[in-house]
Parts: sequence; structure tokens; C-alpha cells
Amino acid sequence: MNKIPITLYINDDPCEIRVYPNDTLLDILRDKLDLTGSKESCGEGVCGSCTVHMDGKPVRSCLTLAMEAQGTKITTVEGLAHGDKLSDLQQSFIDHGAVQCGFCTPGMLMSADALLRENPAPDEQTVRRAIAGNICRCTGYAKIVEAVAHAGNPQVHCPDCKTRE
Amino acid sequence: MSDYTLIGKRMPRVDTRAKVMGKAKFTADLKLPGMLVGKIKRSPYAHARILDIDTSKATALPGVKAVVTGKDTKGVKWGVFAYTRDQQFIQTEKARYIGDEVAGVAAVDEETALAALDLIDVKYEELPAVFDPMEAMASETELIHEEFPNNVNIHVNIDTGNVDENFEKAHYVREDTFVAPEESYFQAEPYAVVARFDQDECLEVWMPNGGPHMKSKPLSNAFKIPLHKVKVRKIAIGGAFGGRSEICPADYICSLLAKKTARPVKIQFTREENTIATRQGHAMITTHKTGVDKNGRVLARETTCYMDGGAYSSTGPIATSVPFLSMEQAYRMDSVRYNGYRIYTNKPIRGMIRVHGRGFACGLDTQLDMIADHLGIDPVEIRLRNSRQPGDYTSTKSYVASCAMDETIHKAVDKSGFRKKWGKLPPFHGIGIGTNSVQTGFPMGIRGGSQSFIKFNEDGEATVMSGVVDNGQGNENMLVQIAAEELGLFPEDIHLVSADTETTSSDPGSYSQVSTFVGGQAVQTAARNCREKLFAVAAGLLKVNPDQLAAKNRVIYVRSDPEKSIPIKKVVRISLLNFNSVNAEGGYWPKVDMKREWVSNPYGQMCEAFSFGTTIVEVRVDPDTGRVEVLEATAAQDVGYALNPLVLEGQFEGSIAMGGQGGMLTEYHEWKEGRCLNPTMLDYKLPLACDMPKINNIIVESVDPKGPYGAKEAGMSIAMSAAQAYSAAVSNAIGVFMDSFPLTPDKILAAIQEKKATVETKETS
Repeated sequence: MNKIPITLYINDDPCEIRVYPNDTLLDILRDKLDLTGSKESCGEGVCGSCTVHMDGKPVRSCLTLAMEAQGTKITTVEGLAHGDKLSDLQQSFIDHGAVQCGFCTPGMLMSADALLRENPAPDEQTVRRAIAGNICRCTGYAKIVEAVAHAGNPQVHCPDCKTRE
Repeated sequence: MSDYTLIGKRMPRVDTRAKVMGKAKFTADLKLPGMLVGKIKRSPYAHARILDIDTSKATALPGVKAVVTGKDTKGVKWGVFAYTRDQQFIQTEKARYIGDEVAGVAAVDEETALAALDLIDVKYEELPAVFDPMEAMASETELIHEEFPNNVNIHVNIDTGNVDENFEKAHYVREDTFVAPEESYFQAEPYAVVARFDQDECLEVWMPNGGPHMKSKPLSNAFKIPLHKVKVRKIAIGGAFGGRSEICPADYICSLLAKKTARPVKIQFTREENTIATRQGHAMITTHKTGVDKNGRVLARETTCYMDGGAYSSTGPIATSVPFLSMEQAYRMDSVRYNGYRIYTNKPIRGMIRVHGRGFACGLDTQLDMIADHLGIDPVEIRLRNSRQPGDYTSTKSYVASCAMDETIHKAVDKSGFRKKWGKLPPFHGIGIGTNSVQTGFPMGIRGGSQSFIKFNEDGEATVMSGVVDNGQGNENMLVQIAAEELGLFPEDIHLVSADTETTSSDPGSYSQVSTFVGGQAVQTAARNCREKLFAVAAGLLKVNPDQLAAKNRVIYVRSDPEKSIPIKKVVRISLLNFNSVNAEGGYWPKVDMKREWVSNPYGQMCEAFSFGTTIVEVRVDPDTGRVEVLEATAAQDVGYALNPLVLEGQFEGSIAMGGQGGMLTEYHEWKEGRCLNPTMLDYKLPLACDMPKINNIIVESVDPKGPYGAKEAGMSIAMSAAQAYSAAVSNAIGVFMDSFPLTPDKILAAIQEKKATVETKETS
């Protein structure tokens, strides 16, 4: 098999790389570009741990061939913060205790971030549907749902939103 | 109200910033110079003699750097106990389950390593395999381990006396059998290990673990090298739930490949391997016979449980005991006889899991509901009449110092509206209650204690060293929170060095719910000792007695006159100028009965504290599909004292998901001749965000006299009682007491139809 040159724009940086036709986007991100924030958990598109944005849409990078990403803008979990400044969603995950082991967190953040870009004030059911493709084994999802719903919309009744004041 | 600064507060975890930024490194994220890819050759047969292994073709493949088989090992067998050493890390004589390790390869890339696996030629002679524990016990087959007659791996017998006599006195006796198949952990992180030998010939190794010191000892034994030469390093861990407690053959194989190639090696499990070749939960067949007086008080109980242990012992004696112990803690049962058998079969190895003994516990609670139904008592009342009380001894002679079981029941009942709903809900709408209890630790001999070291740096910040590991539950934050509280510092002033065997002292590990009680207490003691040194210096400077001082917000001050104060940093620097560094150690060893042994002497103080939990669940069942919709779950646990309610609630909610939603509705394995048919996330149904009900968390505090700040453990008795509550609620909704778990739609539909047929038969006759 021959390697083929492709260009990706990863977290706003242009990146020229040679890939095999069967390389997945996840392989390239993790093994070639050392962006290990995206995780492989199921390897078959079920768990959502490898979720990244491709031109703003959440995709499972374990099922996306690197070649399919040719010319696209890819955002990974490493691209959510601006330097040391966390996004509202990232900060909300911390404040609401939405992270336990943290292995599903990058994928969860990417699915939630995509939702919030379309709907900045989602209700609980909308959040649950938006992250239904991301499996978390630790939290029972309650705090994740809260963190997403309250990100950028601090709720007066929520003790964990108030801690940010 | 307590006057703590950090303890008892909703403190966001210190480890989560790195996790939300994608910076936290898990084992599979590691990349070392010259690192090779390791893969494991596994047995395709459930039971087979290994006649010959030819590795020549694999070795000759370009890019292959090493192939290892059982011949390369020192033949050491692993077992958690001296009497359960039955597992080689690479098999030499027999393979005992589909997936058993027979060889390993290291190659320059994954493709080459996989190709090499195919070139290893193993000649097997297939042996009769057995997959059913009852058949295995009947022994009409070749023994899986020669030295264990009838394939009985472990037999635990507990008898507290007068059982038969008290059955005679009973007003009502019933005997019922309950079954549940295997379940799996499905930690988010598939197992992975990276190993290398450094320039001093020390083994340096990273892997998800339930206690780094529990990994270093078996590796030191297997390589026959001193313990200090095995450096298990700290790494982020993607969940454990009991499934990372032991050494894994991959740890050894990866290390052996690293030794042979003199290069770092990484082995990453596939999802299937994580399911098949780490651990699973035990399948169980449990018969409970219970005799009660006319008020529903249990007079006598006899329980027999057959557990499918799979191919090797693993934590066998513990696994055989804990389902019983949890129930003897939760309920008073003075006259009880327990026979637990863990039986070898040619299936993957079973260990402890977060909801270990779901069928056992759900069976016992279902039977209690049956008895209540017969006597015309409600499920709450019968639990209150049998619930554990503070000051009691359990039937196996553990003193229960703190217990707010009744309070968890009352509060969960009030919050859920149980009394208003019980018996009054429409058809196929039900409510159920479960209660349970778990241990904070087991007698672990010389590994039962934890020790911490603290040193102050000249900038007034402190380094805290502890062997406690964090699998995701928040142990790192717990240690930082305790140290900062005691030292009067901010959390960001604490630098935690933990879960590394080179720098930290032995620790019992994060399983058996012991981390806060033992490891947290060790840090608390070390910090108090360190503070004493600071106060001695500060007292001289402030011209008061040390006992008049307190520390808060980086300052030491006089309690009666807070204006009179001195920054901690200054105290440290003055101490250094006087040739005294500020450091201290502190340890905690739980006062348990060291003579207590799982099989030979299962009596005596088990651990110092027990948690107690109640879950109530309300469900609606679709009578046409058998599908269960969970409307609400209410979880109340006596945690002793809530160090951090934010973290604690997360443990409760996760417990409802794994114990109840998954454990009782969807999670189980299916088999064909020893082959697991659903080892992946596609086929094994884990709860999703859209499946989960609203959860009400109720924290109950009994303030344990021995726990740090009165704390015990957070969430495990919810995981257990959630399973019981889910099953009780479904039984209540359909009007049939279910005896086969989990409660999948097919079983629910069959029960509804059977009930309908019985009613119709009665009506026509």
C-alpha cells in the first residue's frame, strides 16, 4: 500500500501528512500527531470516546478514514480551550463534577460542544439525546447533563454554578 | 455545622482540569523512544493440552523483535492467596478458556505483530470442556485443575449455630432459588500496559491498576527480582470497578518482551480482550431458605450459592464470601448457615465487580418481599424489622460501630413517596426498595495499612506522598482535600505524589472501598503531625502555646485572637534557618482481626466500618413489549461523613447506572461453548444518557468513630441496593416475583403471560 498526501486543518493549524488508505482519522491524530486526547474505547463507533469535529460536525474518528478528512477543519479536545483559558463547557464539566475517570470526557465534550453551537440553551432531554452516542461508565450521566445544560447558562438554583461566582 | 474549610464542601476535583483539556495521559497514550508493539496469542480452545509451540516462523518474520512462550518464564504461578496459586502468566501445559495466554510477540508495528501471532504454530489436543458449574461439580469431565476435586475451587462454610432449631420455631419458612449470569466491567479504558527495563535493570511499568503495590509484588515474584526493582508508575486510569485489582498476565508478558528486546513495549487490549481476558463478574445460582416469626423477623436462614468462577481462582475466596457478608451486614441474621462454592469452568476468569452478587442480593431481598407479602406487611416494614443497628455484631462477629441503615430507609421512603404509592399504583406501574451494606476494607495482613509522607517546600507549599491510587472515583482530590484542610493550605498548594511504587509506601489499593478510610486517614495523620511541627515553631514566634493555634488560608493564627498570625511560608523558612526541615509521616492500620481468614476462619472483625444504603425505584412496564421505563430512583446512603458531596453524588449516580439500570435491566453475557457472544459495546448493552431516570441523592451521616472526619465509603451500597430496588420495582409492577436476573423484556413478557394464563385457568376451573 502506498501512502497518500493529505492536508488537514487541525485545531486551526494546517497539517500536511502522508497516510495509508486504511488509516483512520483517530490513528493519525493519536499516533502520528500525538493528539492523544481523543480516545479509543470500543473501536467500532459505539462509545463516542473518539468524537472530534469535522467542519464543525461531530464525527467518530475511529470510523472516519483519514483520507475522508482531506481538506477539512478538524477540532479535537485539545482545541477547545484558548491557551490556558478553558471554554465555558470545559469549566462547567469541572464545576459540576461531570468528570470521574475522564476517559470518555474528551468525546463527551466534543458531542456537547457541537450541541451547544447549534442550541446554546438546551433542555435536559435535548442534552440526553445529543450525548446518547457517548458511553460513560462512571457517572450515570446526571452531572454531565447538568454541566452541558448549565454551560454558559449558570442557574441560580444550582449549587455548582454558584461556585463559579 | 462543622468549622472545616474544605472538608464537607462541594469541591471540584483537582484532577479534572487536565482531563477536560485532553492532557491527562492514560497508558495507551504513552509513547517511549524505540517502543515496540506487543500482542498476545490466545487459546482458541476452551480446554486443551498444549503439545508443542513452534515460534520459528514468527521469529523469522522481518520486524518481529521477540516471541515469548511459557518456556521463557520462571514458571511462577499467580494467585491472590498462597492456596489459590493456579494461574501461569503464559500457559505451558493446558489452556483452560478461550482466550488463555499461550505466547506473546513484540514487533515494530501492530500489523507485523498480528502477522507474527498467526505464524506461531501451537499444537493442541482438545480436552472435554465444561461450561456449567453444576456439571463441573458433578465431575464427569476431566478436571480443569488436577488438584481441585469436583472442580470446586473454593468452599466457604459459615455456620453461626442453632439454624435447624430456629427453623423449627419459625412461623413461616420458604425456600427459593435465584439465578443471574455473568456481567462485565466495560471500563471506558481498554486494558493497556507499557513496560521497559531502565539503565539500572529496574522494571518500569504503567497500567491501569487498583493499587500499584498489588502489581509490583507479583511482578517481583515472577521475575525473581527485588521489589525495589519494580517501579509501577502513576498514570491516569479509565475506570476499574473491581476489574483492575489483580496482576494481569499482560503485565508480565509485556515486561518479559521488554526484557527480551531491551526496548519499551506497549500492549493495548482490544475491547474483546478487555472483556474476555481481564475479569468478569461471577454467574451465580443462589438458594435462600428463610424462616421468620409472625412479625416477619428472620429467625433462621440457610443460603447456598454456586458461583461460576471460570478458569482460575482470581479473588476466589473473597468473591465467594462477599455477597453473603454484604447481606449479613445489612440485615440481622443471628442463626445462619452459608455454603458458598466457587467452581471452575472453562470460561473466562471471574473477579470482584461493583455489583458483585447481584443475583444473591436481589434473591434475598425478593424473598423478603415474598415473606412480607405472605404476612401482609409492607416491604419497608419488614426491612425495618430486620435492619442492622449500631452497636450490633454481625453474624460473623464484626462489631458495627456506626450504622444509620434505618435513617437511609426512612429518608428514601419519604423522598420517593413510597408509602403513598405502595399498593396504589396503576397496573404495570411499580415501586420497589432494596437495602444493602458494604465493607470498608478486608483483613489484608501486612498490606492492610497505608502510610503517607509530607514535606514542606521553602515556598510554603507541601508535597504529599501516598500509595493511594485513583481509578476515577476522586481519590486524588480526597487526599489533597484532607492535606490542605489539615495544613491550612489551599488545594493548589498541595503537590500530590501518589500511586507510584518507587516513591510511596505500601497501600491496600482502591478496591474494597478502603481508600478514604485507610489511605485518607494516613494522609490526615501525616498532615496533623506536620502541622504540629509548624505549630511548635509558630508558637515560639507568636509567644503562645501550640494548642492555642490554628491554620487556615496559608496562615497560622491564635484561635482567640486571629489578628495575631504568621504566614505558613515564613514559619517554614524560619524553621529551615534553624536547621529543621518541616516534614512528617503518618500511617493508618485498621484494627481488624488478623486471624480472620476467608475459608479457614471466617469470623472476627472484618473491617472497622460498614456503609449502609437504600435505593427506591419506580418503574413502568410496557405489557406488550416487556420494556421497563424507569421513572425515578432515590438513593440514600450512610457514608459516615460526606467529605465532598459533589464527588459523592457522582458515585451514587454512577452506582444507579451500573448496579440498577445496567445491572438489572440489560447487562449480561451470552455464551456458545465457552465463547462469549457479546464481548463488545455493540452487543453488550450499557446504559446511555437517554436511558437514565431522574436520581434523588440523599446523603446520610452517622459519623463513624474511626473514619477520617467520620467518613466511611461513598456509593457502593447504592450500587448493590440499586440492583435490588430495580428488581423489586419490576416485580411489583407486573405482580410476579422474579427469580432470574437481569430482568430483560423476554423474561418480563414470559412472566406476564404465565401469570395471565394462571389467572385464566383459575377463572375457568
